[in-house]
Amino acid sequence: MNCEVCQLKELDVEYFEIREVLRCILHTIFFHRALGLVRPKDVDLTLFEITYVQCGDAELEKKVDEKIDLFIDRVEKHPNKKNQICLSFFEVKNKQATWFTHKVEHLYWEQWYINLNVAQHPKPHSGKSHHSKLVLDPGESASDEGNARRATLESSLHEVLFQIIKFVNEKKDHIPPIPNMEGVSFPYEITISSSSDSAFGMDMFKRMLQTGHPTMLS
Amino acid sequence: MRPRDKWFNLALRDCPAALENIDFWRQSNLEPMVVDVVLVQRPVNWDYASSSPKVAFEQNFLSKDRFPVVWKSDSDEFGCDGHSEKVIERWIMRYESKKGCKEGSSGNKRSSTITSHALYKKSILLLRSLYVTVRLLPAYKIFREINSSGQIRSFSLVHRVSSSVEPLVRRDEAEMQQFTFTPVDTSCGKLCISLSYLPSISDTTSESSTPMSPQFITDYVGSPLADPLKRLLSASLPQYSPSSPFGRRHSWSYDTRMASPPSALPSPSPTYSESRTLHSKFGSHRPPISSRYSSLEPAQVHTKDTGYDEYFPSPNFSPSPSPSPPVGSNMLKVLLRSDSAPVYIPASRLGDAPLYSNKTVLPFSPPLQATRPSLSLVERSLSIPTTAGKLLSLRGEETARPSGVKISLNSSPHKSSSRSFSRLSFENSYDDSEFSGPFVVDDDDTIDPGSRPGSSDRSGNLGMQHECVRSQDAAVGALVQMLKKAPPLQQDLNRSQYVSKTSRPEKSSNQILDHPPHASSNVSSFSRVSGIKTTSDAMEELKGYLDVKQI
Repeated sequence: MNCEVCQLKELDVEYFEIREVLRCILHTIFFHRALGLVRPKDVDLTLFEITYVQCGDAELEKKVDEKIDLFIDRVEKHPNKKNQICLSFFEVKNKQATWFTHKVEHLYWEQWYINLNVAQHPKPHSGKSHHSKLVLDPGESASDEGNARRATLESSLHEVLFQIIKFVNEKKDHIPPIPNMEGVSFPYEITISSSSDSAFGMDMFKRMLQTGHPTMLS
Repeated sequence: MRPRDKWFNLALRDCPAALENIDFWRQSNLEPMVVDVVLVQRPVNWDYASSSPKVAFEQNFLSKDRFPVVWKSDSDEFGCDGHSEKVIERWIMRYESKKGCKEGSSGNKRSSTITSHALYKKSILLLRSLYVTVRLLPAYKIFREINSSGQIRSFSLVHRVSSSVEPLVRRDEAEMQQFTFTPVDTSCGKLCISLSYLPSISDTTSESSTPMSPQFITDYVGSPLADPLKRLLSASLPQYSPSSPFGRRHSWSYDTRMASPPSALPSPSPTYSESRTLHSKFGSHRPPISSRYSSLEPAQVHTKDTGYDEYFPSPNFSPSPSPSPPVGSNMLKVLLRSDSAPVYIPASRLGDAPLYSNKTVLPFSPPLQATRPSLSLVERSLSIPTTAGKLLSLRGEETARPSGVKISLNSSPHKSSSRSFSRLSFENSYDDSEFSGPFVVDDDDTIDPGSRPGSSDRSGNLGMQHECVRSQDAAVGALVQMLKKAPPLQQDLNRSQYVSKTSRPEKSSNQILDHPPHASSNVSSFSRVSGIKTTSDAMEELKGYLDVKQI
């Protein structure tokens, strides 16, 4: 089974926009991959005029928020670097256990790469006022430049969501059978990496070689 | 939740409105289902109350063999004139059957089961995508906007279900973007869903939410435009004329303004600037207001005199950096000042001298206490044993002469000159008690009851003894009249002797009078008062006359 990889369009976000953007993208993906019984819940973004859909699974929401927190911490520790979240769906296959080894193999059948370019932000104790304003007051759109940037980001986020929809529609055969369960039916994992990591570029290169040109939808 | 609500693992509630109109397709018809989402815009003056929700059902006959069904759901009244419709979304669902495929053909059950599972999975995925896509389209924003706010808007959303694809307007069709969902393959065909939508419909619905551009409000509360009183006061401000040093001239101009409809917001006018120059002439030491009218007359701000502010208080909207008193207190000061210095308006002069008709526009009128003795002195000096008609005639001549001469000679600061204004105005206007009116000075401190017209017999001497400020011209005129109409010498001699015996000299101002014990000194006081060459000649003649009398 091939592993379908989807490299989503890179988004330029501010520090305070990370949470909302990641929530929107991750839950949209999960809604398409949680093929068990779900009770859809519409969620309106506060920073953008976008409504996305959640599965209505409280456990899933909690795990997603935890990963987002980790991502934000990593961004704070590694500023000025491109950061990436990888959502992978896999199947668990148990290898034949030997006397020394007992491995559980994860067979990834789909990976989603969310690329965020976070604008430079100061640490809380720093004295940079022009960035601290954004940190302290995330809801303000102070200038026209900020509004233009926000509009551009909203449009890009729209594109990313449509990219997800198109990918889901085009790639269906690689999805394993749906287990009889509610909510997220397939196991998954969320990994965080940044461009500073040595394996960051290599992983991407390997995936490109395996899957061919990423599906970049217009 | 019922089991049918969990189809495709998507727990949704029923939508009765949608289920009512798909019976046609329940009958296994292979006609496409076309769902149009239409944006209906009503005219501006559309009456919402007159319309009622309606559901109409129409049947259209397109061909003999088919009876396509067109169902419309509309919250508006059909046939509403002036409303426009625009298809913003079009969903087309059709099942394309394969040729040569037979339904219900016997086959491998396992493959059919697998096919069913795959079909179901793909259907689930299709519906998930459909569910998310609907909420990303522009029409969803309009839907939320309509449902969220309770405002009556000029637009609404309606949907139409039909079995035929009606051609769209070319322009709309060109603007629409297409999106086709991946067909779901079945054993004998595939289910296809396509979407056509307008990517941007903000221009259509922006009329209700477009914010107004920032504009200056010129007639809000506190501005001269909003307050008629302030408008009148401010409108009269430019009427100050430099040729009228008296406050009465201002009042006259103010009266004319009052008679005519007040003009609009006073714009900077030459008279306005000239009047400010007038004040500066008399040494106004008040600090200028810099920004009282900054929003209205920025060019005049730096030269505005605070004196005007007291009578024509500035609007409250513009902050003043100078520590000027508030508007209300300024107006109060004006009124109080006017009330504390009433003007006595003689009835005979109301027609001749509109200068004296309004008491409120005496800009620098101090209290009258200091001037009232002079009024009585004037009266007494003129009420020499002559008839009442003489007094009236004298008064008439006095008033006819402008008292502005004194102003020109008075180089004292602002306030003292204003006193002279008021003194002159009052001495010219004050008259006998027969001219009593609402503005009669009624102050016991300033008016000696003994100086009333009723005691005019002693006024020949008493008039000299009281403080009196007269114009030189008025004194000369009075003297000439006296000389002309003097009684015979014998009678005058008797009277003068009587007056000198009975009268007691009272204090008088050094400026004008002295108090000689004899009658001749009374005459000499007049000469002091006049003090001009022509008067001195007259006095010499009078002296000679009196000497003749004594002889």
